[in-house]
Amino acid sequence: MKAKDLMVLLKEYLRPGYNLKKAANILKTSRKGERRIGVKGLPVINTTGKMIGFLSIGDILKSVFPSYMSLMNLGDFTWNGMVEDIAKKVGRLKVSDVMTKNVISVNEDAPLMECIDHMIKNNVKKLPVISKKGRVVGMLYERDIFFAITEAMGNKRKRGKK
Amino acid sequence: MTIDTTFWAATIIFLIAYAVIISEKVHKTVVALFGAGLILILKILEQHEAFHVEELGIDWNVIFLLISMMLIINLMRPTGVFEYIAIKSAKWGKGDPFRVLIIFAIVTAVLSAFLDNVTTVLLITPVTILIADALEVDPIPYLLSCAFASNIGGTATLIGDPPNIMIASKAQLNFMDFIYHLAPIIVVIMVFYIFAIRFIWGKKLVTKEELKKRIMAMNENEAIKDPAMLKKSLFVLAIVLTGFIFHGVLHFQPATVALFGAGLLLLLSKTNEPHHVLAEVEWPTIFFFMGLFIIVGGVVKVGLIKWMSLQVLALTEGNLFATSMVVMWFSAFASAIVDNIPYVATMNPLIVDMAKQLWPNETGLQLLQHPDLMPLWWSLALGACLGGNGSAIGASANVIVVGLSEKAGKRISFGKFMLYGMPIMIMTVVISTIYVWLRYYVLKI
Repeated sequence: MKAKDLMVLLKEYLRPGYNLKKAANILKTSRKGERRIGVKGLPVINTTGKMIGFLSIGDILKSVFPSYMSLMNLGDFTWNGMVEDIAKKVGRLKVSDVMTKNVISVNEDAPLMECIDHMIKNNVKKLPVISKKGRVVGMLYERDIFFAITEAMGNKRKRGKK
Repeated sequence: MTIDTTFWAATIIFLIAYAVIISEKVHKTVVALFGAGLILILKILEQHEAFHVEELGIDWNVIFLLISMMLIINLMRPTGVFEYIAIKSAKWGKGDPFRVLIIFAIVTAVLSAFLDNVTTVLLITPVTILIADALEVDPIPYLLSCAFASNIGGTATLIGDPPNIMIASKAQLNFMDFIYHLAPIIVVIMVFYIFAIRFIWGKKLVTKEELKKRIMAMNENEAIKDPAMLKKSLFVLAIVLTGFIFHGVLHFQPATVALFGAGLLLLLSKTNEPHHVLAEVEWPTIFFFMGLFIIVGGVVKVGLIKWMSLQVLALTEGNLFATSMVVMWFSAFASAIVDNIPYVATMNPLIVDMAKQLWPNETGLQLLQHPDLMPLWWSLALGACLGGNGSAIGASANVIVVGLSEKAGKRISFGKFMLYGMPIMIMTVVISTIYVWLRYYVLKI
């Protein structure tokens, strides 16, 4: 089994110039497979079709988290409304300011073990899948690899895609 | 003095190393270590001179004092005591923005007197930005004041600022000498400083009553994550401070006291993985010191420092009051431009050399602590430490504050820092000038 056999085809993506408010709305309403249930992240593609970053829900959480909070243990000393106040300001930021720039991705022909290797070593739960032409064609999710593993164990397939 | 190729080799290495350090094109630690390597490979210093000769090589007293204090702080940090102090201070100020600014300045100054300035600033600045955010006021006054107060407070004690550590080691001065000679004037300077910040920011910082409640609702007790370790840390800190107070009487070097404290706290922490605590020591700073000591040792050995000291004495015609004023003001402006660590590393042997010219028959402590030489050491300490406020690159604490402010989205430009820092520096050095003149040349006490 290879990356392309398990990936979910990519139908939406983000542009670096979108503001965070728009990008967050796309993440919220994006399709995952057939259902419009929102996704935890999408690749950021420039005008030439090349992936230049990835914006995940985690990046949006980080965008409202002040850098000084990470230097000391200050979580006990915050107040109600703090996140909402900052969120109003970061909505205007651009995707390119917040996105993760070093994206861990796999080629579509990558064997499954290679995908697991990337996920474990880089602590990511989803991998953009790159075609031979260098385009992002799909997303490989931890869940789908898990289903492949359970199937190999002899369990019945829970939900079919192919 | 013979001027030969070795003299020129050492001088050129010294000058280029300092120029590159100022330019910041290459990391200062890399410059210092490469320079030290050149000094050794060209046999300007023999290896045993660099490693084992007190006048020429690495000052291990400075190195181990720095490492040990860093270890103690690294072990204390996770207990949450510093968060506790900072939140408690903000609540003490009742959430009033200006009162909080003053209390933070005092707390920063006191902490800086006992911890190194960079550590203090790293511990206080994040909380000051949080408090400014909570009160919805501009964080820049808090950030700048934190840097200024740490440089002022650090001047007060032997362990407060690296220049003092280096001066103490060179001149064999003890902790109480600094308390007796520098702490009083630093208290006076802090009073003036508080009036100054009141003049600058007093009327600009206003907030709403309901925002003050955010501060008052914070419970500082939640900051304490490890009460058992906190007790151990305070116990060890008490031993170390007592050790510092009596180290002169007991004939211990400060590094002995600090190393004992660090070792004891490591033991009490019951850690089986000291790796993490050791890794957090600021090794780049430590290696910067080691490299510098070797480079300066090189120019001491070839006679460059002796030549420089003769020039200074010629300039001031051997008048010691004039010399100490030149040392203080030159140190202040030099420290605003150059890192004060390499500056003091160079000035220390220079002052010793001046002493040798002035009192050729004295040696040892009689020479290093000659009554007429003492004001020079204090002038050097005051100039080099307080000069750090002059510019954004004048002290490591400033660099940290500017870096943090940029991350917080409130950039402090080089010019903006200087606009506030330079007048503060001049004010504090003027006060120090009056102090040195009055205490050592008029009242002679």
